[in-house]
Amino acid sequence: MLKKTIVAFAVMMVMAFSPLLAQSHDRIVSSGTLVEKANSLDGRTVSFMGEAIGEALRRGHMCWIHLNDDAYMWKNIEEGSMLGGYNSGQAIWVPSDLAARIGFFGDFLHEGDVVKVSGVFHAACREHGGDMDIHALRLEIIRVGHPVVHHVNLRRLRQGVFMLFLTGILFWVRTFARRKRI
Amino acid sequence: MILKPKTNDLKVIGLYTGKIIIGVGLLMVIPMLLSLIRGEWNPAIEFFIGICACLIVGFIAETTCQTTRDLTWAHGLVVAGFSWFLATALGAIPHWLSGHFGSYLDAMFDVMSGFTTTGLILVQDLDHISLGLNMWRHLLTYAGGQGIFVIALTFLVQGTPGTYKVYVGEGKDERLMPNVIHTARAIWLVSIVYLIFGTLTLWIINLINGQSILRAFLHALWIFMGAWSTGGFAPQSYNTFYYHSLAFEIACVIIFIAGSLNFALHWAIWTGKKKEIRRNIETISFTITMTVAMLITTAGLMKLNVYPNIMATFRKMFYQVASGHTTTGFSTIYSRAFIVQWGPLAMLGVIMAMAIGASACSTGGGFKGIRMGLIFKGFVQSIRRTLAPESAHVVVKWHHIQTRVLDESAVNMAMLIVLSYIGIYLAGTLAGVFCGYEPVQALFDSVSAGSNSGLSCGVTSPAMPALLKIVYILEMWAGRLEFMSLFALGGYVLSFFRGR
Repeated sequence: MLKKTIVAFAVMMVMAFSPLLAQSHDRIVSSGTLVEKANSLDGRTVSFMGEAIGEALRRGHMCWIHLNDDAYMWKNIEEGSMLGGYNSGQAIWVPSDLAARIGFFGDFLHEGDVVKVSGVFHAACREHGGDMDIHALRLEIIRVGHPVVHHVNLRRLRQGVFMLFLTGILFWVRTFARRKRI
Repeated sequence: MILKPKTNDLKVIGLYTGKIIIGVGLLMVIPMLLSLIRGEWNPAIEFFIGICACLIVGFIAETTCQTTRDLTWAHGLVVAGFSWFLATALGAIPHWLSGHFGSYLDAMFDVMSGFTTTGLILVQDLDHISLGLNMWRHLLTYAGGQGIFVIALTFLVQGTPGTYKVYVGEGKDERLMPNVIHTARAIWLVSIVYLIFGTLTLWIINLINGQSILRAFLHALWIFMGAWSTGGFAPQSYNTFYYHSLAFEIACVIIFIAGSLNFALHWAIWTGKKKEIRRNIETISFTITMTVAMLITTAGLMKLNVYPNIMATFRKMFYQVASGHTTTGFSTIYSRAFIVQWGPLAMLGVIMAMAIGASACSTGGGFKGIRMGLIFKGFVQSIRRTLAPESAHVVVKWHHIQTRVLDESAVNMAMLIVLSYIGIYLAGTLAGVFCGYEPVQALFDSVSAGSNSGLSCGVTSPAMPALLKIVYILEMWAGRLEFMSLFALGGYVLSFFRGR
């Protein structure tokens, strides 16, 4: 009787906590945590979310992407975000067909897609010469990126024209002074 | 007795400083054109303002400081020290206007880091900066590697006997040719030929690695500039870790080791003296100290079992140590990984490599191989003198382009410069500890700044105290110009108040 009770209790506990266990993969880990706790997270399945930047570097049916989870993940400085320190992110090794879903990679002219990946974290990957990476098994687009609209800064343009005028005058004065000396 | 500078002294300093600043302004035309071609209108305007500011300062200096007097040694050193500071202040205009820097001090930090080929950065959101600004960052480091005055000497300044003194003031003292202008042009010739072949190689690798034609080319060009000048700037925040490519890493290592070699050695090889590479005191010194640094670092990594196999250990260790020893600053690991993964012993191996640094009259910094060699030879000479009979005349020889007899004054000079480097490394470390950082971390970034390496373990950041930013700027400046120019500049400023 006692045995049956223990087994039933164990089964109930597993059933009760199984959704949480499943969700533990979905708990998003930051790049800072991955670097600081690299050894304890090594080999664990993690979820990571960040803005795709640069480009996908294709290597056959796999490719490298880089996701930044820094202060500029949702809005970068070119779009008017406040300064928030360095970029920080994580290198992801992902099948090319999954990476092909990414439409925008962040750069001066674009705010990249915000992407969530799940996969195995390696503090020093055996396959990739010791690189710190995540081998992604799943990829999800959380927010589609967009081109960044840059309006010409007219105030700065006027300053430039004024400085050109000043430079012209000084060039003339310099040439005149040189001729006079000769 | 200190003599107060006369108007004519100031004029000759002002005239040459003005010419150098005009050179810096003209250099900004390249990133401005790239911005215009790529439709980056605001960065183009920012570069235009920067160009105008440099030309205004340069024209004022040229107009008010007209003189036919030639440069003396003191003038040359003061021009070198002062023009690097002024070029940093004016070169920071496009950086500051870009909006990616927390303060003008941060912008100046990055420009000084570029000119001195250090590679430490305070730019924020690097992954979203314009192509123009990225071009400017790398051009700064490429130009700084050859020497700002070398550029002016090549294109703007008419050669006089005195111009050699500014060239020496920039930390270079090799005459590849009898004429200093021809020497400057030879340095550019070597650099441009490497630029073409290096960029082409990296471009092909980048294309194979999956970059588009334009991005592959620009990244190849910028990475070449960062590697050859031993600057360590890279277009992405991940530095060279971004590329995940063994071929790319090998190409980088070849380029930055080539960049760290003495221009006189390059010239000797170019002119057919291939044996020079085996006999030169600097290549021998580099081989020995690099081996020692690699052994220490490997021991540290093996002790902590950081990497899964020997190949990964070697690949990561070799790249970071070679990058540190050549004072490049490229990295294929995260900055914080030095602390959380590598540990103190491996960090000390890298610190040692950075402190010793590259060759004299190269693009690199640090003590320099020639000085390590001379001090070692001096040590050997002292021991042999102690052991030999009193009447014996002990002669020790050393080889750099030609074989010479070791002379005590050369050893003393080498010791003096090495002690000055140790002084700035310690001063920066003290400042770091004062600001609340751990001693090993403070030492790592201080040595990196003073030796113009650019590797960081995380101390350098936009959030670090302004005091530390100023200390690192001074370290980079002093380390690159090898102290004499700064001492001369300091002496000149002092003479205004104390001179007669």
